[in-house]
Amino acid sequence: MTDRNLPPGDGYAALDEAEGLTVEPVTQWQLFRSRFVRHRLAMMAAVVLGIILALALFADFLPLENPTDQLEDDNGRIVNLLSPRAEYWFGTDELGQDVLSRVIYGGRTSLTVAVLTGLMVATFGTLVGSIAGYYGGWIDTLLMRFTDLILSLPLLPVAIVAAAWLREAFRGREALSLAILLGTLLWGTLARIVRAEFLSLREKEFVEAARAAGARDRRIIFRHILPNALSPIIVNATLVIGLAIILEAALSFLGFGVRPPEPAWGAMAANGGRLAVGGSGAWWLVLFPSVALIVTVLSVNFLGDGLRDALDPTQTIERR
Amino acid sequence: MFQYVVRRLVYGLITLLALSIITFTLLQNTGGDPLDRIKSNPRITQQAVQEMAVFYGLDQPITKQYLTWAGNFVQFWNYPTAWGRSFQGPQQVQALVINRLGGTARLMFTALGLAVLIGIPLGIYQAIKQYSFFDQATTTFSFVTFSTPIFVLGLGLQIILALKLEQWTGVKFFYTSGMNSTSYADFSLGEKIGDTLQHLALPAASIALISIAGYSRYQRASMLEVLHSDYLRTAKAKGLSQRTVIVKHALRNALIPVITLISLDIAGVLGGAVITESIFAWPGMGRLYIQAIGQNDWPIVMAVVMLIGVMVVVMNLFADLAYGWLDPRVRYD
Repeated sequence: MTDRNLPPGDGYAALDEAEGLTVEPVTQWQLFRSRFVRHRLAMMAAVVLGIILALALFADFLPLENPTDQLEDDNGRIVNLLSPRAEYWFGTDELGQDVLSRVIYGGRTSLTVAVLTGLMVATFGTLVGSIAGYYGGWIDTLLMRFTDLILSLPLLPVAIVAAAWLREAFRGREALSLAILLGTLLWGTLARIVRAEFLSLREKEFVEAARAAGARDRRIIFRHILPNALSPIIVNATLVIGLAIILEAALSFLGFGVRPPEPAWGAMAANGGRLAVGGSGAWWLVLFPSVALIVTVLSVNFLGDGLRDALDPTQTIERR
Repeated sequence: MFQYVVRRLVYGLITLLALSIITFTLLQNTGGDPLDRIKSNPRITQQAVQEMAVFYGLDQPITKQYLTWAGNFVQFWNYPTAWGRSFQGPQQVQALVINRLGGTARLMFTALGLAVLIGIPLGIYQAIKQYSFFDQATTTFSFVTFSTPIFVLGLGLQIILALKLEQWTGVKFFYTSGMNSTSYADFSLGEKIGDTLQHLALPAASIALISIAGYSRYQRASMLEVLHSDYLRTAKAKGLSQRTVIVKHALRNALIPVITLISLDIAGVLGGAVITESIFAWPGMGRLYIQAIGQNDWPIVMAVVMLIGVMVVVMNLFADLAYGWLDPRVRYD
């Protein structure tokens, strides 16, 4: 892809052109794109995720029932536990709420929590990792001991106790508080990865050159080293999003997540499971939120895999 | 080496201290008085409630309560009073938790045993037959299982293999809740074994499936790395048989990282037991934990969280030591 809009004074391009030796510059972004597009599963995952995201974002504009309305038939009776049919594609639950609508709005909850968690982890993990790796010495020791401490807490038991507390402290803002909780517990791995990147990158010549040119620490960290450490950050943040979806679902499954009647996939599956084991036969209450969960997490993980393959130029793409 | 272990143990103790303070503080602010149930009983007088609060030490400032709890907790040899008393009944926490530990251990060892016996050979075979149909199919299956939350897996097994299967065949293959039937004591030995397995199968399988997915993925990657290494090419070039190359040269080295993974997974599975035990109404530590949080029965919550914390610290250390012991290239500093 030759750029035809080169300024007329670009001597090298003109020279190359004259000799018939057009060297086409390939940017990092183009390299990444061509590698990623070749990764078929990851492409598919990206499309599926795009659809799920769009559904969650634009749920308000879709012709859906309100997820917390108890629906009634013409005679004013509540239509509970209807199996899937033309009117209610995913059926209705025991309170007469539309399951399709709840699955879509539940996705909004899950994805909000997960994406916020991913952003928090990326920010905090990068900050801690880069400061520790760049400065070394006692700052490094202190920050890494702290990271180790967070990493060696038993994840689920601590998350449950913390979620139980957050539910009281942040009534009505559970999604945000869950994201803060998961972000706080999950940044450790990324901090370690970023630190390792910084440890090796800070010894490179270009950093020395920047320092010799008088660049200050902050500029070296953010302008020179960080862009080179971006790939593992993106990959890890993606995988954290997958983990956050699972953890959020697990917490709401156990009753420590978003409060009903607000929809959440984990809570819906838990409720459906309880009814199914009780003998209701309402399989749709379990199936649809579960499938939504699996498809979303699977897509995020495939995407993460694809990103890893595409962003790491030392790796050859594994053909699937 | 000795220094390394000592330092790691000190860090471990600091971690446990931090864990206990964090959990204790969170529990104090979770809302809901531990004595709520007792207070709501109209036959218990205000006076009696006061006395109870004094008896449990709940009238003391929080820091004092914490220090008293911590001081008693570390003296675990004072069985069964060391870990305090449940707010909800006459049980001593230590006796209760250790009693429930048996249930959790039965579930965990079965699941991990299955996962090791199936996951590791699976990963090795996948690596040897890389890109074969078997490899592709099982790797995809692992990836899907790995992305499935354990409660979805548990619910699925419960509904399909227990409820539906019984509806279709009229025979009860598996139970969905509990560790044994209520009439267990009257059973003959054969019936007892059958009953135990019928209860154990589904919760163990749901934990095992996820671990199998994790172990085989890891084992496959580690085996592939070894299979492509130079010393393995040398071994093949010497004319050794395929079998010797794989068993004697490749396998030994490929197992090292997986052993680390498994020791770390034990702690994870123990934490995850909270969910599995809740789904299958399994009388273990995890279910006790959830119930105790619901009732704000914090001596129980603290005891369980600390036990799991100790396991995490011990298994982390074990993983690192095992790694160094098995792989002489690793040095401690």
